[in-house]
Amino acid sequence: MVKTLPDVVMMHSDVLISQAREGDRHAQGKLVQLWHKRIYNFSYKFFYDHDLAMEAAQKTFISMHRNIAYLQDAARFRSWLYTIAVNCCREELRKRKSERSVSLSDLRPGEAEDSYMWERSGDRGENPERVLRQTELTDLLQACLMQLSEEQREVVIMKEYEGLKFREIAETLNISENTVKSRMYYGLEALKRIFERRRITKETIGYEL
Amino acid sequence: MNYKPDEATLIAYLYGELEEGDQIKVAEYLQKNPEERKRLEEWSFTKSVMAHLHDKEVIAPPIIFGEDSNHVPLWKENYFRMSLGIAASLLFFMVAARLLGLSASYSPGEFKIGFGMREKSATKEVPMLTEQQVSKMIQSSVAINNEALETSWQQERKSLEQSIQKNLHSNSLKLDQLMQTTSAASQEQVRSFVGQLQSDNLKLMKDYMQLSAKGQKEYVESLLVDFSKYLDEQRKQDLQFLQARVNKVEQNTDQFKQETEQILTSLITNTSTNNQRRN
Repeated sequence: MVKTLPDVVMMHSDVLISQAREGDRHAQGKLVQLWHKRIYNFSYKFFYDHDLAMEAAQKTFISMHRNIAYLQDAARFRSWLYTIAVNCCREELRKRKSERSVSLSDLRPGEAEDSYMWERSGDRGENPERVLRQTELTDLLQACLMQLSEEQREVVIMKEYEGLKFREIAETLNISENTVKSRMYYGLEALKRIFERRRITKETIGYEL
Repeated sequence: MNYKPDEATLIAYLYGELEEGDQIKVAEYLQKNPEERKRLEEWSFTKSVMAHLHDKEVIAPPIIFGEDSNHVPLWKENYFRMSLGIAASLLFFMVAARLLGLSASYSPGEFKIGFGMREKSATKEVPMLTEQQVSKMIQSSVAINNEALETSWQQERKSLEQSIQKNLHSNSLKLDQLMQTTSAASQEQVRSFVGQLQSDNLKLMKDYMQLSAKGQKEYVESLLVDFSKYLDEQRKQDLQFLQARVNKVEQNTDQFKQETEQILTSLITNTSTNNQRRN
Protein backbone atom coordinates (compact mmCIF):
# COMPACT_ATOMS: atom_id res chain seq x y z
CA MET A 1 0.00 0.00 0.00
CA VAL A 2 1.48 3.31 -1.11
CA LYS A 3 1.74 5.71 1.75
CA THR A 4 0.70 9.24 0.95
CA LEU A 5 1.32 12.34 3.06
CA PRO A 6 -2.05 12.07 4.81
CA ASP A 7 -1.30 8.39 5.55
CA VAL A 8 1.96 9.37 7.21
CA VAL A 9 0.20 12.08 9.19
CA MET A 10 -2.43 9.55 10.23
CA MET A 11 0.18 7.15 11.51
CA HIS A 12 1.77 9.85 13.62
CA SER A 13 -1.26 11.65 14.94
CA ASP A 14 -0.73 10.88 18.63
CA VAL A 15 -0.69 14.57 19.52
CA LEU A 16 -3.95 15.16 17.70
CA ILE A 17 -5.56 12.18 19.42
CA SER A 18 -4.46 13.32 22.87
CA GLN A 19 -5.78 16.83 22.17
CA ALA A 20 -9.06 15.38 20.87
CA ARG A 21 -9.37 13.27 24.04
CA GLU A 22 -9.12 16.45 26.07
CA GLY A 23 -12.09 17.90 24.16
CA ASP A 24 -10.25 19.99 21.56
CA ARG A 25 -12.82 20.27 18.77
CA HIS A 26 -10.26 21.54 16.29
CA ALA A 27 -8.20 18.40 16.83
CA GLN A 28 -11.31 16.27 16.48
CA GLY A 29 -12.11 18.03 13.20
CA LYS A 30 -8.57 17.33 11.98
CA LEU A 31 -8.97 13.65 12.85
CA VAL A 32 -12.18 13.55 10.84
CA GLN A 33 -10.43 15.09 7.85
CA LEU A 34 -7.58 12.60 8.15
CA TRP A 35 -9.64 9.44 8.66
CA HIS A 36 -12.77 10.15 6.66
CA LYS A 37 -11.45 8.70 3.41
CA ARG A 38 -10.36 5.48 5.08
CA ILE A 39 -13.60 4.99 6.98
CA TYR A 40 -15.68 5.91 3.95
CA ASN A 41 -13.80 3.44 1.69
CA PHE A 42 -14.05 0.69 4.30
CA SER A 43 -17.81 1.29 4.54
CA TYR A 44 -18.20 1.60 0.76
CA LYS A 45 -16.44 -1.72 0.13
CA PHE A 46 -18.58 -3.27 2.83
CA PHE A 47 -21.88 -1.91 1.42
CA TYR A 48 -21.06 -1.16 -2.25
CA ASP A 49 -23.34 1.83 -1.66
CA HIS A 50 -22.26 5.47 -1.51
CA ASP A 51 -25.12 6.78 0.65
CA LEU A 52 -24.87 4.00 3.19
CA ALA A 53 -21.10 4.44 3.33
CA MET A 54 -21.47 8.19 3.92
CA GLU A 55 -24.08 7.51 6.61
CA ALA A 56 -21.90 4.95 8.34
CA ALA A 57 -18.85 7.23 8.18
CA GLN A 58 -20.80 10.13 9.63
CA LYS A 59 -22.14 8.01 12.48
CA THR A 60 -18.65 6.66 13.12
CA PHE A 61 -17.22 10.16 13.58
CA ILE A 62 -20.13 11.32 15.71
CA SER A 63 -19.55 8.31 17.94
CA MET A 64 -15.82 9.08 17.95
CA HIS A 65 -16.56 12.64 19.11
CA ARG A 66 -18.79 11.37 21.93
CA ASN A 67 -16.52 8.62 23.17
CA ILE A 68 -12.96 9.69 22.47
CA ALA A 69 -12.61 11.00 26.02
CA TYR A 70 -12.94 7.38 27.22
CA LEU A 71 -10.18 6.06 24.91
CA GLN A 72 -7.53 4.69 27.26
CA ASP A 73 -4.56 4.23 24.94
CA ALA A 74 -3.89 6.63 22.05
CA ALA A 75 -1.83 3.93 20.32
CA ARG A 76 -5.01 1.88 19.86
CA PHE A 77 -6.91 4.69 18.18
CA ARG A 78 -6.92 2.99 14.77
CA SER A 79 -8.40 -0.31 15.93
CA TRP A 80 -10.80 1.59 18.21
CA LEU A 81 -12.02 3.71 15.28
CA TYR A 82 -12.45 0.65 13.06
CA THR A 83 -14.40 -1.06 15.83
CA ILE A 84 -16.83 1.87 15.79
CA ALA A 85 -16.96 1.76 12.00
CA VAL A 86 -17.69 -1.99 11.94
CA ASN A 87 -20.46 -1.57 14.48
CA CYS A 88 -22.00 1.32 12.51
CA CYS A 89 -21.81 -0.73 9.28
CA ARG A 90 -23.47 -3.72 10.94
CA GLU A 91 -26.19 -1.47 12.33
CA GLU A 92 -26.83 0.11 8.93
CA LEU A 93 -26.90 -3.30 7.28
CA ARG A 94 -29.42 -4.52 9.83
CA LYS A 95 -31.61 -1.50 9.16
CA ARG A 96 -31.28 -1.99 5.42
CA LYS A 97 -32.30 -5.64 5.71
CA SER A 98 -35.33 -4.67 7.74
CA GLU A 99 -36.35 -1.86 5.37
CA ARG A 100 -35.70 -3.82 2.15
CA SER A 101 -35.84 -0.70 0.00
CA VAL A 102 -33.20 0.08 -2.61
CA SER A 103 -32.89 3.25 -4.64
CA LEU A 104 -32.75 2.80 -8.39
CA SER A 105 -29.68 4.99 -8.63
CA ASP A 106 -27.94 2.73 -6.13
CA LEU A 107 -28.27 -0.36 -8.33
CA ARG A 108 -25.57 0.78 -10.68
CA PRO A 109 -23.66 3.65 -9.10
CA GLY A 110 -22.02 5.94 -11.58
CA GLU A 111 -24.71 5.99 -14.22
CA ALA A 112 -27.07 8.64 -12.94
CA GLU A 113 -26.25 12.26 -13.67
CA ASP A 114 -26.41 13.25 -10.03
CA SER A 115 -24.28 10.30 -9.00
CA TYR A 116 -21.29 10.91 -6.82
CA MET A 117 -19.19 9.32 -9.60
CA TRP A 118 -19.27 12.65 -11.41
CA GLU A 119 -17.69 14.26 -8.37
CA ARG A 120 -14.57 12.18 -8.84
CA SER A 121 -11.67 14.29 -10.07
CA GLY A 122 -8.85 11.75 -10.12
CA ASP A 123 -9.71 10.34 -13.53
CA ARG A 124 -10.02 13.63 -15.35
CA GLY A 125 -7.64 13.97 -18.26
CA GLU A 126 -7.07 10.22 -18.55
CA ASN A 127 -7.95 8.03 -21.49
CA PRO A 128 -11.74 7.66 -21.44
CA GLU A 129 -11.59 4.07 -22.71
CA ARG A 130 -9.14 3.13 -19.98
CA VAL A 131 -11.30 4.86 -17.38
CA LEU A 132 -14.32 2.90 -18.58
CA ARG A 133 -12.47 -0.39 -18.40
CA GLN A 134 -11.14 0.43 -14.96
CA THR A 135 -14.65 1.31 -13.83
CA GLU A 136 -16.01 -1.94 -15.16
CA LEU A 137 -13.23 -3.90 -13.46
CA THR A 138 -13.82 -2.06 -10.18
CA ASP A 139 -17.53 -2.81 -10.31
CA LEU A 140 -16.78 -6.44 -11.13
CA LEU A 141 -14.35 -6.83 -8.23
CA GLN A 142 -16.70 -5.04 -5.87
CA ALA A 143 -19.48 -7.41 -6.94
CA CYS A 144 -17.16 -10.35 -6.21
CA LEU A 145 -16.41 -8.89 -2.77
CA MET A 146 -20.11 -8.57 -2.05
CA GLN A 147 -20.52 -12.31 -2.59
CA LEU A 148 -18.48 -13.03 0.53
CA SER A 149 -20.16 -13.42 3.88
CA GLU A 150 -20.21 -10.36 6.12
CA GLU A 151 -17.59 -11.80 8.47
CA GLN A 152 -15.20 -12.72 5.65
CA ARG A 153 -15.80 -9.38 3.89
CA GLU A 154 -14.94 -7.40 7.04
CA VAL A 155 -11.65 -9.26 7.46
CA VAL A 156 -10.69 -9.14 3.76
CA ILE A 157 -11.35 -5.40 3.53
CA MET A 158 -9.43 -4.64 6.73
CA LYS A 159 -6.48 -6.75 5.63
CA GLU A 160 -6.33 -6.05 1.90
CA TYR A 161 -7.40 -2.43 1.73
CA GLU A 162 -6.96 -0.95 5.19
CA GLY A 163 -3.65 -2.66 5.86
CA LEU A 164 -4.37 -3.72 9.43
CA LYS A 165 -2.26 -6.38 11.07
CA PHE A 166 -4.02 -9.64 12.03
CA ARG A 167 -3.53 -8.65 15.68
CA GLU A 168 -5.27 -5.30 15.06
CA ILE A 169 -8.15 -6.94 13.20
CA ALA A 170 -8.60 -9.39 16.08
CA GLU A 171 -8.63 -6.45 18.49
CA THR A 172 -11.09 -4.54 16.32
CA LEU A 173 -13.55 -7.41 15.96
CA ASN A 174 -12.91 -8.69 19.49
CA ILE A 175 -12.10 -12.20 18.28
CA SER A 176 -8.95 -14.35 18.37
CA GLU A 177 -6.13 -13.90 15.89
CA ASN A 178 -6.50 -17.47 14.64
CA THR A 179 -10.20 -16.81 13.93
CA VAL A 180 -9.18 -13.79 11.86
CA LYS A 181 -6.66 -15.86 9.87
CA SER A 182 -9.25 -18.59 9.40
CA ARG A 183 -11.78 -16.10 8.05
CA MET A 184 -9.11 -14.66 5.77
CA TYR A 185 -8.24 -18.13 4.49
CA TYR A 186 -11.87 -18.96 3.69
CA GLY A 187 -12.36 -15.49 2.21
CA LEU A 188 -9.44 -15.95 -0.21
CA GLU A 189 -10.61 -19.44 -1.13
CA ALA A 190 -14.10 -18.10 -1.83
CA LEU A 191 -12.74 -15.25 -3.95
CA LYS A 192 -10.62 -17.71 -5.92
CA ARG A 193 -13.69 -19.79 -6.73
CA ILE A 194 -15.68 -16.67 -7.65
CA PHE A 195 -12.91 -15.56 -10.02
CA GLU A 196 -12.85 -18.97 -11.63
CA ARG A 197 -16.61 -18.88 -12.06
CA ARG A 198 -16.43 -15.42 -13.63
CA ARG A 199 -13.42 -16.43 -15.77
CA ILE A 200 -11.16 -13.79 -14.27
CA THR A 201 -7.63 -14.85 -15.16
CA LYS A 202 -4.28 -13.18 -15.72
CA GLU A 203 -5.08 -12.89 -19.40
CA THR A 204 -8.48 -11.29 -18.96
CA ILE A 205 -7.11 -8.90 -16.36
CA GLY A 206 -4.34 -7.96 -18.77
CA TYR A 207 -6.96 -7.37 -21.46
CA GLU A 208 -9.07 -5.27 -19.14
CA LEU A 209 -6.10 -3.10 -18.27
CA MET B 1 11.24 -33.81 9.42
CA ASN B 2 7.48 -33.78 8.97
CA TYR B 3 6.70 -30.12 9.33
CA LYS B 4 3.33 -29.09 7.92
CA PRO B 5 2.09 -25.57 8.57
CA ASP B 6 -1.60 -25.07 9.20
CA GLU B 7 -3.86 -22.69 7.25
CA ALA B 8 -3.39 -19.83 9.71
CA THR B 9 0.39 -20.09 9.40
CA LEU B 10 0.19 -20.15 5.61
CA ILE B 11 -2.01 -17.05 5.62
CA ALA B 12 0.39 -15.28 8.01
CA TYR B 13 3.27 -16.29 5.70
CA LEU B 14 1.39 -14.88 2.71
CA TYR B 15 1.10 -11.50 4.42
CA GLY B 16 4.62 -11.61 5.89
CA GLU B 17 3.48 -11.63 9.49
CA LEU B 18 5.45 -14.67 10.63
CA GLU B 19 8.49 -14.70 12.87
CA GLU B 20 11.80 -15.05 11.00
CA GLY B 21 12.30 -18.67 12.06
CA ASP B 22 8.78 -19.71 11.06
CA GLN B 23 9.16 -17.79 7.81
CA ILE B 24 12.21 -19.89 6.86
CA LYS B 25 10.47 -23.12 7.89
CA VAL B 26 7.46 -22.40 5.72
CA ALA B 27 9.64 -21.35 2.76
CA GLU B 28 11.51 -24.66 3.00
CA TYR B 29 8.23 -26.54 3.28
CA LEU B 30 6.90 -24.82 0.16
CA GLN B 31 10.04 -25.69 -1.78
CA LYS B 32 9.44 -29.33 -0.95
CA ASN B 33 5.68 -29.20 -1.62
CA PRO B 34 4.88 -27.77 -5.07
CA GLU B 35 1.13 -28.29 -4.57
CA GLU B 36 1.09 -26.10 -1.48
CA ARG B 37 3.27 -23.58 -3.30
CA LYS B 38 0.80 -23.53 -6.15
CA ARG B 39 -2.04 -22.90 -3.72
CA LEU B 40 -0.13 -19.99 -2.23
CA GLU B 41 0.53 -18.61 -5.72
CA GLU B 42 -3.20 -18.74 -6.44
CA TRP B 43 -3.86 -16.76 -3.28
CA SER B 44 -1.22 -14.26 -4.34
CA PHE B 45 -2.95 -13.94 -7.70
CA THR B 46 -6.30 -13.39 -5.96
CA LYS B 47 -4.66 -10.69 -3.86
CA SER B 48 -3.15 -9.05 -6.90
CA VAL B 49 -6.54 -9.03 -8.66
CA MET B 50 -8.27 -7.55 -5.60
CA ALA B 51 -5.59 -4.85 -5.52
CA HIS B 52 -7.21 -3.42 -8.67
CA LEU B 53 -10.12 -2.31 -6.53
CA HIS B 54 -8.93 1.17 -5.72
CA ASP B 55 -10.08 3.60 -3.11
CA LYS B 56 -12.71 6.12 -4.08
CA GLU B 57 -11.95 9.73 -3.71
CA VAL B 58 -14.36 11.44 -1.44
CA ILE B 59 -14.50 14.86 0.13
CA ALA B 60 -15.01 14.78 3.84
CA PRO B 61 -18.22 16.57 4.66
CA PRO B 62 -18.05 19.33 7.23
CA ILE B 63 -18.98 17.67 10.47
CA ILE B 64 -19.75 20.29 13.10
CA PHE B 65 -19.65 18.98 16.59
CA GLY B 66 -22.19 20.54 18.87
CA GLU B 67 -21.94 21.13 22.54
CA ASP B 68 -19.57 18.77 24.21
CA SER B 69 -21.80 16.06 25.48
CA ASN B 70 -19.15 14.95 27.93
CA HIS B 71 -19.30 18.21 29.79
CA VAL B 72 -22.48 18.05 31.80
CA PRO B 73 -23.41 20.94 34.08
CA LEU B 74 -23.25 20.27 37.78
CA TRP B 75 -26.99 20.51 38.23
CA LYS B 76 -27.54 17.90 35.52
CA GLU B 77 -25.19 15.38 37.08
CA ASN B 78 -26.92 12.31 38.42
CA TYR B 79 -25.11 12.30 41.75
CA PHE B 80 -25.96 15.98 42.27
CA ARG B 81 -29.63 15.30 41.59
CA MET B 82 -29.63 12.31 43.86
CA SER B 83 -27.97 14.15 46.76
CA LEU B 84 -30.34 17.11 46.23
CA GLY B 85 -33.28 14.72 46.40
CA ILE B 86 -31.98 13.11 49.59
CA ALA B 87 -31.43 16.54 51.16
CA ALA B 88 -34.94 17.65 50.21
CA SER B 89 -36.40 14.45 51.67
CA LEU B 90 -34.48 14.94 54.92
CA LEU B 91 -35.61 18.57 55.16
CA PHE B 92 -39.20 17.52 54.56
CA PHE B 93 -38.91 14.84 57.20
CA MET B 94 -37.41 17.29 59.73
CA VAL B 95 -40.12 19.89 59.12
CA ALA B 96 -42.84 17.25 59.39
CA ALA B 97 -41.27 15.90 62.59
CA ARG B 98 -41.11 19.41 64.04
CA LEU B 99 -44.75 20.11 63.19
CA LEU B 100 -45.97 16.77 64.50
CA GLY B 101 -43.80 16.95 67.61
CA LEU B 102 -42.01 13.74 66.82
CA SER B 103 -39.71 12.56 69.54
CA ALA B 104 -37.54 9.52 69.66
CA SER B 105 -35.61 8.23 72.62
CA TYR B 106 -33.44 5.26 73.26
CA SER B 107 -32.52 3.71 76.53
CA PRO B 108 -31.02 0.27 77.15
CA GLY B 109 -33.65 -2.26 76.23
CA GLU B 110 -36.20 0.14 74.77
CA PHE B 111 -36.64 2.51 71.81
CA LYS B 112 -39.51 5.00 71.88
CA ILE B 113 -41.07 7.04 69.07
CA GLY B 114 -43.81 9.42 70.02
CA PHE B 115 -45.82 12.35 68.73
CA GLY B 116 -46.81 15.45 70.66
CA MET B 117 -45.45 16.90 73.92
CA ARG B 118 -43.99 14.40 76.29
CA GLU B 119 -45.50 14.33 79.78
CA LYS B 120 -43.07 14.82 82.61
CA SER B 121 -42.89 11.73 84.71
CA ALA B 122 -43.87 12.28 88.37
CA THR B 123 -41.66 9.60 89.69
CA LYS B 124 -38.10 10.35 90.14
CA GLU B 125 -35.66 8.07 88.62
CA VAL B 126 -34.56 5.48 91.09
CA PRO B 127 -30.95 4.62 91.09
CA MET B 128 -30.10 1.15 90.13
CA LEU B 129 -30.51 -1.55 92.86
CA THR B 130 -28.58 -4.70 93.27
CA GLU B 131 -30.22 -8.08 93.26
CA GLN B 132 -29.58 -8.62 96.97
CA GLN B 133 -31.13 -5.27 97.85
CA VAL B 134 -34.19 -6.14 95.84
CA SER B 135 -34.49 -9.55 97.52
CA LYS B 136 -34.13 -7.92 100.96
CA MET B 137 -36.78 -5.38 100.10
CA ILE B 138 -39.11 -8.13 98.96
CA GLN B 139 -38.51 -10.18 102.11
CA SER B 140 -39.08 -7.20 104.44
CA SER B 141 -42.28 -6.23 102.65
CA VAL B 142 -43.48 -9.84 102.80
CA ALA B 143 -42.76 -9.98 106.57
CA ILE B 144 -44.62 -6.72 107.18
CA ASN B 145 -47.58 -8.00 105.20
CA ASN B 146 -47.60 -11.26 107.14
CA GLU B 147 -47.63 -9.43 110.49
CA ALA B 148 -50.44 -7.17 109.41
CA LEU B 149 -52.47 -10.10 108.12
CA GLU B 150 -51.92 -12.08 111.34
CA THR B 151 -53.08 -9.20 113.57
CA SER B 152 -56.15 -8.61 111.46
CA TRP B 153 -57.01 -12.31 111.50
CA GLN B 154 -56.71 -12.41 115.32
CA GLN B 155 -58.97 -9.37 115.74
CA GLU B 156 -61.58 -10.87 113.43
CA ARG B 157 -61.46 -14.17 115.24
CA LYS B 158 -62.01 -12.49 118.60
CA SER B 159 -64.94 -10.47 117.36
CA LEU B 160 -66.49 -13.59 115.81
CA GLU B 161 -66.14 -15.57 119.01
CA GLN B 162 -67.77 -12.75 121.00
CA SER B 163 -70.73 -12.50 118.61
CA ILE B 164 -71.25 -16.27 118.64
CA GLN B 165 -71.29 -16.41 122.41
CA LYS B 166 -73.72 -13.51 122.58
CA ASN B 167 -76.14 -15.17 120.13
CA LEU B 168 -75.99 -18.46 121.97
CA HIS B 169 -76.83 -16.78 125.23
CA SER B 170 -79.85 -14.89 123.85
CA ASN B 171 -81.23 -18.04 122.15
CA SER B 172 -80.98 -20.09 125.31
CA LEU B 173 -82.87 -17.40 127.19
CA LYS B 174 -85.72 -17.44 124.67
CA LEU B 175 -85.97 -21.18 124.81
CA ASP B 176 -86.16 -21.13 128.54
CA GLN B 177 -89.06 -18.61 128.49
CA LEU B 178 -90.95 -20.66 125.97
CA MET B 179 -90.57 -23.81 127.98
CA GLN B 180 -91.78 -22.01 131.08
CA THR B 181 -95.00 -20.69 129.40
CA THR B 182 -95.90 -24.08 127.94
CA SER B 183 -95.49 -25.83 131.23
CA ALA B 184 -97.61 -23.17 132.98
CA ALA B 185 -100.82 -23.86 130.87
CA SER B 186 -103.60 -25.79 132.88
CA GLN B 187 -105.80 -28.80 131.88
CA GLU B 188 -109.07 -26.87 132.21
CA GLN B 189 -108.07 -24.24 129.82
CA VAL B 190 -107.43 -26.99 127.30
CA ARG B 191 -110.85 -28.53 127.80
CA SER B 192 -112.68 -25.22 127.45
CA PHE B 193 -110.79 -24.50 124.34
CA VAL B 194 -111.75 -27.87 122.79
CA GLY B 195 -115.46 -27.48 123.78
CA GLN B 196 -115.66 -24.03 122.29
CA LEU B 197 -114.14 -25.42 119.19
CA GLN B 198 -116.79 -28.20 118.91
CA SER B 199 -119.72 -25.82 119.44
CA ASP B 200 -118.42 -23.53 116.80
CA ASN B 201 -118.20 -26.40 114.35
CA LEU B 202 -121.76 -27.52 115.06
CA LYS B 203 -123.20 -24.07 114.53
CA LEU B 204 -121.37 -23.80 111.30
CA MET B 205 -122.81 -27.11 110.04
CA LYS B 206 -126.38 -26.08 110.89
CA ASP B 207 -126.15 -22.83 109.03
CA TYR B 208 -124.77 -24.64 106.08
CA MET B 209 -127.59 -27.21 106.01
CA GLN B 210 -130.28 -24.56 106.29
CA LEU B 211 -128.85 -22.57 103.52
CA SER B 212 -128.53 -25.60 101.30
CA ALA B 213 -132.19 -26.78 101.84
CA LYS B 214 -133.64 -23.37 100.96
CA GLY B 215 -131.60 -23.20 97.80
CA GLN B 216 -132.73 -26.65 96.72
CA LYS B 217 -136.39 -25.74 97.17
CA GLU B 218 -136.08 -22.59 95.11
CA TYR B 219 -134.29 -24.48 92.42
CA VAL B 220 -137.01 -27.23 92.14
CA GLU B 221 -139.76 -24.63 91.97
CA SER B 222 -138.13 -22.76 89.18
CA LEU B 223 -137.53 -26.04 87.42
CA LEU B 224 -141.24 -26.99 87.59
CA VAL B 225 -142.33 -23.62 86.30
CA ASP B 226 -140.00 -23.84 83.39
CA PHE B 227 -141.22 -27.36 82.54
CA SER B 228 -144.89 -26.28 82.55
CA LYS B 229 -144.06 -23.40 80.22
CA TYR B 230 -142.37 -25.80 77.93
CA LEU B 231 -145.37 -28.11 77.83
CA ASP B 232 -147.76 -25.25 76.98
CA GLU B 233 -145.61 -24.11 74.18
CA GLN B 234 -145.31 -27.58 72.75
CA ARG B 235 -149.09 -28.05 72.86
CA LYS B 236 -149.66 -24.81 70.99
CA GLN B 237 -147.27 -25.84 68.29
CA ASP B 238 -148.94 -29.24 67.91
CA LEU B 239 -152.36 -27.66 67.59
CA GLN B 240 -151.14 -25.28 64.94
CA PHE B 241 -149.64 -28.15 63.04
CA LEU B 242 -152.86 -30.18 63.21
CA GLN B 243 -154.89 -27.19 62.12
CA ALA B 244 -152.68 -26.73 59.09
CA ARG B 245 -152.95 -30.36 58.17
CA VAL B 246 -156.74 -30.35 58.47
CA ASN B 247 -156.95 -27.26 56.27
CA LYS B 248 -154.87 -28.96 53.66
CA VAL B 249 -157.11 -32.08 53.73
CA GLU B 250 -160.16 -29.86 53.28
CA GLN B 251 -158.60 -28.17 50.31
CA ASN B 252 -157.75 -31.48 48.74
CA THR B 253 -161.29 -32.73 49.26
CA ASP B 254 -162.76 -29.65 47.65
CA GLN B 255 -160.43 -29.98 44.71
CA PHE B 256 -161.33 -33.66 44.36
CA LYS B 257 -165.02 -32.77 44.35
CA GLN B 258 -164.56 -30.23 41.65
CA GLU B 259 -162.59 -32.62 39.51
CA THR B 260 -165.17 -35.31 39.99
CA GLU B 261 -167.91 -32.90 38.99
CA GLN B 262 -166.00 -31.90 35.93
CA ILE B 263 -165.49 -35.49 34.95
CA LEU B 264 -169.13 -36.31 35.51
CA THR B 265 -170.32 -33.34 33.48
CA SER B 266 -167.95 -34.27 30.70
CA LEU B 267 -169.22 -37.85 30.79
CA ILE B 268 -172.74 -36.65 30.74
CA THR B 269 -172.13 -34.35 27.84
CA ASN B 270 -170.36 -37.08 26.00
CA THR B 271 -173.14 -39.54 26.48
CA SER B 272 -175.75 -37.01 25.47
CA THR B 273 -173.88 -36.13 22.33
CA ASN B 274 -173.43 -39.77 21.49
CA ASN B 275 -177.08 -40.36 21.95
CA GLN B 276 -177.91 -37.44 19.72
CA ARG B 277 -175.65 -38.75 17.03
CA ARG B 278 -177.23 -42.15 17.26
CA ASN B 279 -180.59 -40.63 16.96
